[in-house]
Amino acid sequence: MNEKNTRWQTLALLGALCAAATAAAVWYDLTYNGGKLVYPMHSYAFAPTDIPMLLAVALDVVYALYLAFLLVCGIRAQRERVLRTNRTRRLSPKFGVLGFLGFLGFVGFWSYGTWGDATPFVFFGFFGFFGFFFEGKMSNTLMDERYKENAVRAGLKAYRTGFSIIVVLLIVAGQSSRSRAELIAPVLIAGIALTVALTMFLSEYLLYRYDHDDAAALEEP
Amino acid sequence: MEGFTCNLKTYRLLKGLTQGELAELVGVRRETIMRLEKAQYNPSLKLAIDISRAVGAGIEEIFVFE
Repeated sequence: MNEKNTRWQTLALLGALCAAATAAAVWYDLTYNGGKLVYPMHSYAFAPTDIPMLLAVALDVVYALYLAFLLVCGIRAQRERVLRTNRTRRLSPKFGVLGFLGFLGFVGFWSYGTWGDATPFVFFGFFGFFGFFFEGKMSNTLMDERYKENAVRAGLKAYRTGFSIIVVLLIVAGQSSRSRAELIAPVLIAGIALTVALTMFLSEYLLYRYDHDDAAALEEP
Repeated sequence: MEGFTCNLKTYRLLKGLTQGELAELVGVRRETIMRLEKAQYNPSLKLAIDISRAVGAGIEEIFVFE
């Protein structure tokens, strides 16, 4: 546990160092380099005074790549452990707070109104991370035949719900194609992102319920 | 489950096994054994055979379908 804490502290320290180096480089660039690398530019010619900023950016890229590498290694190790032990992956229910990232989707209303860019609506999909709360509650559970049966049942119900909503969305979008054609893209992007989130959440929530709730388990055929 | 009776508890106790021990023997969770004993879960043929071997009784004696 201490080793794990030390690793997290080291990562946080490295991140803070990168942020501090970037902030210092931006300050240097704005003060001594005319903000050459801070403001948007059309063409670039190297000058030795750019070196601090370039080093800071390189440091950030290396740090981001290192984080991505750690993530891939972690996922691979978890997958191997799941196969070896036949237990669900270890995950803290606290990861459920990542679901709040879904609120970033509301940025879409502003960006669509300002630039006509509907892409941020995709972030509504992050609401699905609320499912980590229930996945975390079933962390490290032995995947026996009842668990697998419940997982299939929960997944099927979640996907069926998701597909039904998407069909309704398509019908609604089809009806409004003549009168308000410009609204189809944002409505579909936001609607599908929310449906994906709901499906992700439902599959974890229903699995938890089927596994813990006698009444719900008995209701199903 | 209608028409399904499970006599697992009787045979398990005769064998002197706890729910946890039986669960470990047949590779399932204790909760699954609990549900089986309450006749709330219909086991697969493989699990039924494993349980019958573990408690030393026939499948049709443990799991009764009317």
